[in-house]
Amino acid sequence: MIESLNALLLAPLTDYGFMRRALIAGLALSLAAPPLGVFLMLRGMSLIGDAMAHAILPGVALGFLLAGFSLPAMSLGGVLSGLIVAGLAGGVSQMTGHREDSAMASFYLISLAAGVMLVSLGGSSVDLTHVLFGSILAVTSTALLLIAAVCSVTVLLLALMFRALVVECLDPLFLRGQGVRHGLIHGLFLGLVVLNLTAGFQTLGTLMAVGLMMLPATTARFWSKRLEGLIGLAVVIAMLASTGGLLLSYHFELPSGPSIILLAGIAYLFSALCGRYHSVLARLRRRATPLESSANDYQPSA
Amino acid sequence: MSRLRLEGLQLAQGGRTVLEHLEGSFHDGAITALIGANGAGKSTLIQAIMGILPPIVGQIHCDVPKERRAWLPQQLALDLTFPMSVEELVMTGTWPSHGALKDYCGPHYLKAREVMRRLGISHLAHRPLGELSGGQRQRALLGRTLMQGAELLLLDEPFANVDADTVTVLTQVLREMADQGTTIVVVLHDLEQLARLADCVLLLAGGHGRWSTPQAILERHGVADHTSQAPLLPLGFPGAAS
Repeated sequence: MIESLNALLLAPLTDYGFMRRALIAGLALSLAAPPLGVFLMLRGMSLIGDAMAHAILPGVALGFLLAGFSLPAMSLGGVLSGLIVAGLAGGVSQMTGHREDSAMASFYLISLAAGVMLVSLGGSSVDLTHVLFGSILAVTSTALLLIAAVCSVTVLLLALMFRALVVECLDPLFLRGQGVRHGLIHGLFLGLVVLNLTAGFQTLGTLMAVGLMMLPATTARFWSKRLEGLIGLAVVIAMLASTGGLLLSYHFELPSGPSIILLAGIAYLFSALCGRYHSVLARLRRRATPLESSANDYQPSA
Repeated sequence: MSRLRLEGLQLAQGGRTVLEHLEGSFHDGAITALIGANGAGKSTLIQAIMGILPPIVGQIHCDVPKERRAWLPQQLALDLTFPMSVEELVMTGTWPSHGALKDYCGPHYLKAREVMRRLGISHLAHRPLGELSGGQRQRALLGRTLMQGAELLLLDEPFANVDADTVTVLTQVLREMADQGTTIVVVLHDLEQLARLADCVLLLAGGHGRWSTPQAILERHGVADHTSQAPLLPLGFPGAAS
C-alpha cells in the first residue's frame, strides 16, 4: 500500500530532477498567480489575462528569433511586449475616453498577429507549439530561479499594494480624491499580471498560464464570500492542480500544461455544480440562516 | 473667508459647455444644496470641485487639503459586489492617516465602531456590502467619510433609493458635521429634502448658476411654510421649474 503510494506520488519526484523543478515552479506560480486572478475576476477583467497572454507572444517570439531558446531573452521580450500593449491600451483609453477593454482587444490582436508573423518568418511551426504550450522538460535551474524571483516579487508587491488595490476596486475615485496618481495602482497591477504570465510560459505555455491565474479564482468564488477566503482557496486549488497535473502527466505521458489546467477546470465544474455559494445545487437547496433575534424581540422603531 | 470659492468658472463635458460664468463661495460649516434639472451640470460641478474635471476657464479655490475632501458618489457608480464588510469599508476612511501600508490599530477600530453606532449600522459591521439594502449602503459610505474626518464633503443625490429612517439619520449626521465646521455640498432633487437640510442653495439652470436660499426657492414654488408636511413636487419636474 505504502509502496504503491510512494511509486505514485513520491518516486517521480525523488527519481527525476526535472519533475522536482517542475513541481517547485508550479507551486511558486500557484502562490503568485491566483491572487492576481482573484483581483482580475473581482474587477470584471477576467478576460484581460487572456488578452495579455496573447500580447506577450510577439515578445517571446522575438526573443526566440534573436537569441535562440534562451529563457532570459524570451522572458524579457514577453514582459516588454506585454507592458507595451497594456500601456498603449491604458493610454489610448485615457486619451480617447474609449473603454479600456476595447483598446486592449485591439492592441492584443495587433500584437498577436505580429507575433505569429515573426515566428513564421524566422522559425518552424514546432517552435511555436513550444512557446504556446510549454513543457516541463524545459524548466532548467535558470528558469526556476527566474520563476521564483518573479513570484517572490509578485507576492511582495501584492502585499504592499493590497489595501490600495482593494480600495481602488471598490471606488477608484476615492483614491484619486486622496491624491494617489490615477492609473498608478492599476498599471502596477497589470504589470504584475504580465510578469506572471511570462514566468508561467515555461511550464504551461503562454496561453495556459492564464488558466492557472483565472480558474482557481473563479472556482474559489463558489466557496467563499470573503476576500481572504477567495485568495487562500485559490492558492490551495492552484497548488493541488499543479501537483496533480504534473503527476498525471508523468504517469500517463500527457502534456503537463493541459493536465494542470484541466484539473483546475474539473475543480471549477464541480464547484459550479456543488459549491457552497451561487452554485447550481446551492440555488436548488434555497437554504437560509435564521434571523438572530426572535419575533418576540421585534420593536418597531418610532 | 470661505474655503471653497468659484471664480469665473467654465466647465465642459465632451466638448459641450455645461456651465459658464460661475462665481461665488460656499459657506463653511453650512450645507449648500445644488439643485437644477437633469443635465443642468450638478454632477459636472461636483467632479470639478473634486479636481477630476479641469475647468476650461476660471478657477476653483479650495483651501481644504486633498485628503480631507470626501465625496459620496451615486451608489450606482460603485461596485458593491466586492467582497468587503461594512467595517472594512468604514476603515478605508483612515487612508489620510494610514495610507496603503500602516497597520490599523485599536483606537481606529474604536472610532470605526463609534461611527457605525452613530449611523445605526453596528449590527451590520461584518455583513458583506453586497447583502445590504440601499439605505444601509449609503450609511456605510457616509461612515467612511466620517472616519476620514472630512472637512469638505460632496454628496451626489445621497437620498436616492434610500429608506425614510436612513434619510433621518443621514440628515442628522450631516447637520452635526456642518455644525462642527465641515463644508457640505449636496445634490438634491426634491423640495422636502431642501427644506429639511439646506442652509444655502446654488441653483443651476441654462448653463448658469444662481445663489439663493431655501426659503426663496420654496416660496417660489408656492410652499410658504416649509415646515409643513404637504407633499412637494420634485425639482426639475415640468410643473415645478419656472
